[in-house]
Parts: sequence; C-alpha cells; structure tokens
Amino acid sequence: MLVKHVRLMLIAAAVGALAITMVAAGSAVAKPSATPTIGVSFDLLNQIRKAELTGIKQYAATKHVKILFSVANNDANQQSQQIQNFISQHVTGVIAIAQNGDQIVSSIRAANRAGIPFATIDRAPGKGGKVVAQVTGNALGDGAKVANYMCSLHKPLNVLLMVGALTDANAIGRRDGFLSAAKSCANIKVVQTLPTNWDPTTALNGVTNAFQAHPEINAIFDPSDYLLPAVVSALKATQHFNPVGDAKHVAVVTIDGDNNGCFALRSKWIDADVATQVGKFGPSAIDAILARTAAPKLVKVPGLTLSQQNFTTTHSLVWGCAYGPNGFKK
Amino acid sequence: MSAAVTGATRRYTGSLGELLVRNTVLLAAAVVFVAFSLASSKFASGSNLRNIAIQGSGSAVMAVGMTFVIITAGIDLSVGAILFLSTGGAAELFVHGLPVVWAPLVAVLFGIGLGALNGASIAFVAINPLIVTLATLNLYRGLGGHLTGFTTVYLPPGMTKFGTTTVASIPAPIIVAAVVALAGGLVLRRTVFGRYVQAIGANSEAARNLGLPVRRVLVGVYAISGLTAALAGLIENGRLGALQPTVGLGEELTVITAVVLGGTSLFGGKGSILGSLLGVALLQMVADGLVLARISPYVFDMLRASVLIVAVLIGTSRAGGLRALPIGRRPRLEVGP
Repeated sequence: MLVKHVRLMLIAAAVGALAITMVAAGSAVAKPSATPTIGVSFDLLNQIRKAELTGIKQYAATKHVKILFSVANNDANQQSQQIQNFISQHVTGVIAIAQNGDQIVSSIRAANRAGIPFATIDRAPGKGGKVVAQVTGNALGDGAKVANYMCSLHKPLNVLLMVGALTDANAIGRRDGFLSAAKSCANIKVVQTLPTNWDPTTALNGVTNAFQAHPEINAIFDPSDYLLPAVVSALKATQHFNPVGDAKHVAVVTIDGDNNGCFALRSKWIDADVATQVGKFGPSAIDAILARTAAPKLVKVPGLTLSQQNFTTTHSLVWGCAYGPNGFKK
Repeated sequence: MSAAVTGATRRYTGSLGELLVRNTVLLAAAVVFVAFSLASSKFASGSNLRNIAIQGSGSAVMAVGMTFVIITAGIDLSVGAILFLSTGGAAELFVHGLPVVWAPLVAVLFGIGLGALNGASIAFVAINPLIVTLATLNLYRGLGGHLTGFTTVYLPPGMTKFGTTTVASIPAPIIVAAVVALAGGLVLRRTVFGRYVQAIGANSEAARNLGLPVRRVLVGVYAISGLTAALAGLIENGRLGALQPTVGLGEELTVITAVVLGGTSLFGGKGSILGSLLGVALLQMVADGLVLARISPYVFDMLRASVLIVAVLIGTSRAGGLRALPIGRRPRLEVGP
C-alpha cells in the first residue's frame, strides 16, 4: 500500500511539474504581430551571455524591435528545435550563439529556405549556410594583446600558457594569437602549455602541477576570467600568490572582462584583462537583419585592455565591472 | 544467505591470465607510475604524490558512493550535478543568513536528499537508473544554475575548509577521502546492509524472494551516492574557493571509469572500495603525469579515452567470466551453504 502511495505521489509530482512547465512555456509563446520580431537563441545563460542579451535588448528597444528569447542549455539539438520554432512563427530574423558551430548550419539553411535573415554572434558557424552577419570577438587579436601587454612589462617571463578547449575556435584563436605575437618579444618564453577544457577543476590541478614541474614560472596566460578562481587557488596552494607590485608576484593576464576579472584587477591579484566588448555584438547583428544585407557582414569586435595602469579610467567601459565582486546579483 | 545470491564465493583458478585481469588496475597503476617517473624526475617526489592525493580526493570520495550504486547493478549519472547543487544550495542559504558553520552540514543533507530522491524513483516507480539519473542530472544542474544565476560564487572561508585546511600537516581532502573510504569499506564488507547491497546486485529477484528490503536498500544506496557527491563538492569547491557553474560537469564519467577500472562489475554483485580507489589513483596519476612529462596537449584526451575503453573491456570481460578475453579460464562459481 505504501509503495502504491509513494508511486502515485511521485507520478503526480512529475505530471504537475510537466503541467507547470507547459503553462509557463505557453505563456512565453509570442503571437504574430506587425512589430519586427527577432528570435534570439543562446547556447547557455551565464554572466557573459546576460551581458550580450542586455546589449541586444537595449538596442532592440531603440529600434522598436521585439525580442523572443530561448536558451539551449548546452544542447545543440534543443537549439535546433528552438530556432525551428522561431522560423515557424515567421520572425523577422534570428540571432544565435551556436552551441555547436557545425550543427547550427542546418538551422541556418532552414532559415534561408524560409527567407528569414540569420545572424550569428560570439561563435562563428561552420560552412554551408548564409548569414547576414557574423559578429564575434577577435580571438587572435585578443591573444596578441595579452602577449603585447606581457611584453610591455619589460622583464623575462617564463609563461604558463593555459588553453581552453582544443576543439573551441575561441580557445585556439587566443592561443595562436598569443604565440604569434610572443614570437616578436624576446622577454616571453612559454615553458608549459596546459589544456583545461574550460573546466575549473582541471585548471586548478593543471596549474598546481605546472608549478611542480616548472618552479620558474613567473607569468600565466589565462584564456578566460572563468578560470581565474582556479588560477588564484592554485597560486595560493603553491605559495605563489603575491599581489601586483610584490617582487615575487606571478604576472597574470586574462581575457573576457567579467566580474571575476574586474574583481581580481581591483584586488591587485592580476595585471591585466583583455575585455571582450560583448555589448557591441547585438547591435551589429540587429542592424544587419533589419537591413537584410545581401553580403554577410563580418565583424570582429576588438578587445579592450583593462590593466592596473588604466583601471580607474577604463573600468566603467568593461561589462563585468557592472556586476558585484561576488557572483551573486547586486 | 546463499553464495549463489551474493556471488561472494566466486573463485578463480589462478592462471596468469586471470591474475592479470583481476589485478589490472594495480598493474596499470604500477606501469603508469614507473613510466611517468622515468619521464619526469619530479613525478615521484613526495610533494607531487601529495598533489596527486589531494587532486584525487574528490573523485575518490564520489567513487565510494558510486561503488555501492554499481554493485547494485545501477548507475548514478547525477553525481556531478549533486556536487554542484548541494554546495550551491548551501551557499545560497548562507547568503540569506544561514550561519556559515551550518553550511557544510546543509550541503551534505542536500546531497543525501537528492540522492534519496533518485533512489525512490528507481525503487518505487521502477524507472531504469540510467533514465532517472540522466533526468536528475539535468534537473539538479538546472536548479543549481537557477540558484546561482550561472555565475561564479566566491565561497566564505567557513565553506572552503574541506578543501584548504590541514590537520597535523595532512590536507583535509585526504583525511575526508580516507575516512569516507574506510567507512564505505566497513559498511560494504561488515554490515548486513553491505551484504544486502551485494545480494541485490547479484540477483535482485532472488533477493526480493528471500524477503530482503530491496527498495529501502536501493534508496539507501543512492542516498550514500548523494552524500559522497556533496562531500566531494565541499572538497572541490573548497579547493577552488568558489562555486562555478560547470564544476563537476562530466565528473560522473571519471568516477564511473575509476570504479569499473577498480574491478566493480557494471552488471552488479561484485566490487570493492579499494579497487575503486586504485582506479581513481590511476586516472589522477595519468592527468598529473601528462603535465609533468610535457606531453602534447592533443594526446591528453586520446589517453583518457583509451583508459575508458580499457575499463569497459575489463568490465565486460569480468562480467562474462573472462570469456571475452582469450587469456585465462572461465571462473567457477561455487555455491556454498
């Protein structure tokens, strides 16, 4: 009897949760209207994506464009279905951050067949579909800016080169940009390359192990602010954590400009952060959709170097500095 | 309880082939240790071995819980998500005024509750463990993301002690892993509950016919898995000093690989905590050694994948009584009184 009751309760809970989800989803479905409507599909919703979405929404408001928003939760198939829903609703255009650059090509082709302009931001799509705009950060340029900043420190640097995921174009671009620019700087010597797969625990363990193998490391290229807590913890665990200005300070330069980076700069934990100007991604994409540009508009938004030297004057331009020092919402 | 049910008296005949298969993880660990010691003079140093022990502690703790689960012929894919949600839930309560001293306890209770929910769904609704825990993997990670806003949450010092403090110069993660492993081994080998776990894994129908409390044991097993995932969360997030949205992502595969490498049968009924710990040690040595030996980053994933394939082959060969491998003889199942 008890088993039967428990089973019924669990089934009822599951059905209830499903019903609530369906009602919530139903209320979010847009009805066709004369107002230009753009469907926005993100791979996930973290802080950087929120900043990108804010940029889209703010610019859309000035253009009197309505935004339909969906998140794929790192699921390329889910993203495909969400974009298909936008197409079925005959939206004015679609802006997507691809979960998978190759898999999104089929969605782009579907939009092309329906005559709906498609723009991608942040992550470039694979070949095959036609986009009106492709707006990304400048991975190669940002990596080069990290090397140039390190070079400007004018001291011999034995660098630990951290890499994101070896299958990610941004990670590879940042690495290659750094290596290319570092060639022209005699001060920089890469002593260890460390793949992290963008995973904090892998990064923490890897940096700790790298110091074990190369105690001479005195600079770290961190390819993303997301890995900064891991870098800081590893520096603390290996007794290498000293603030900027200390003779034993390990130079750390990173990319993104999120709240981790801004907080670490303000605390003098790191030397510089090449901030991606994510707020500029959406406006370029919206303009291209509304103009229905025939030739794809390829925009690479350059990063903005925020350093100890210019922090006071420049931090207000960096999206992550608008958030609190902790991840919790202000 | 008969040996036919527990499978406890399964005995091998002692040929070299059987010996190799039964002790594969130990041999592999020895080979890896020697190889990396030759490749890097720092690999076998005391400080590096300490690093390996610290870095493997979280996985080791989770492997204890996963060993119980897999012995019941189950699987728990949600451990990485529980690791994330349990710490995230406690951190969120801390922000809303919970005294930080209570936060670790709350995280552990969250873990037990989330694991028990898995177990109840499996035991009482009779849904396949793979389906249940695949669903809760997404549910728990989604809940954690909702709580934290998918942002980095810096943890208060009271919540990082499991990862950063030392007791008599021994790092807390190693102590926690040792205590959990010891307790897990005792429960599995020396208690009625442990024998029930093995019996259910060997033949759940027979166990049910014998009047064993199969459902309650299953709920308990998944609650243990949740508990160990929460403890691993305190260790790993404590070491990071922050809770990040992707922490624990994919860690279930590492833990399952370690457990299977360590000799626990994917088909249930057989396994050991010590073997699982050896499996974790092997994987951690590989991860550490690849960095120290300066091996090309492109080789990292290939080697990890190779280890996984070897683990599956070993698991399959064991389940098939070595029939899948040309070496050795088939095991003789003795049925005792």
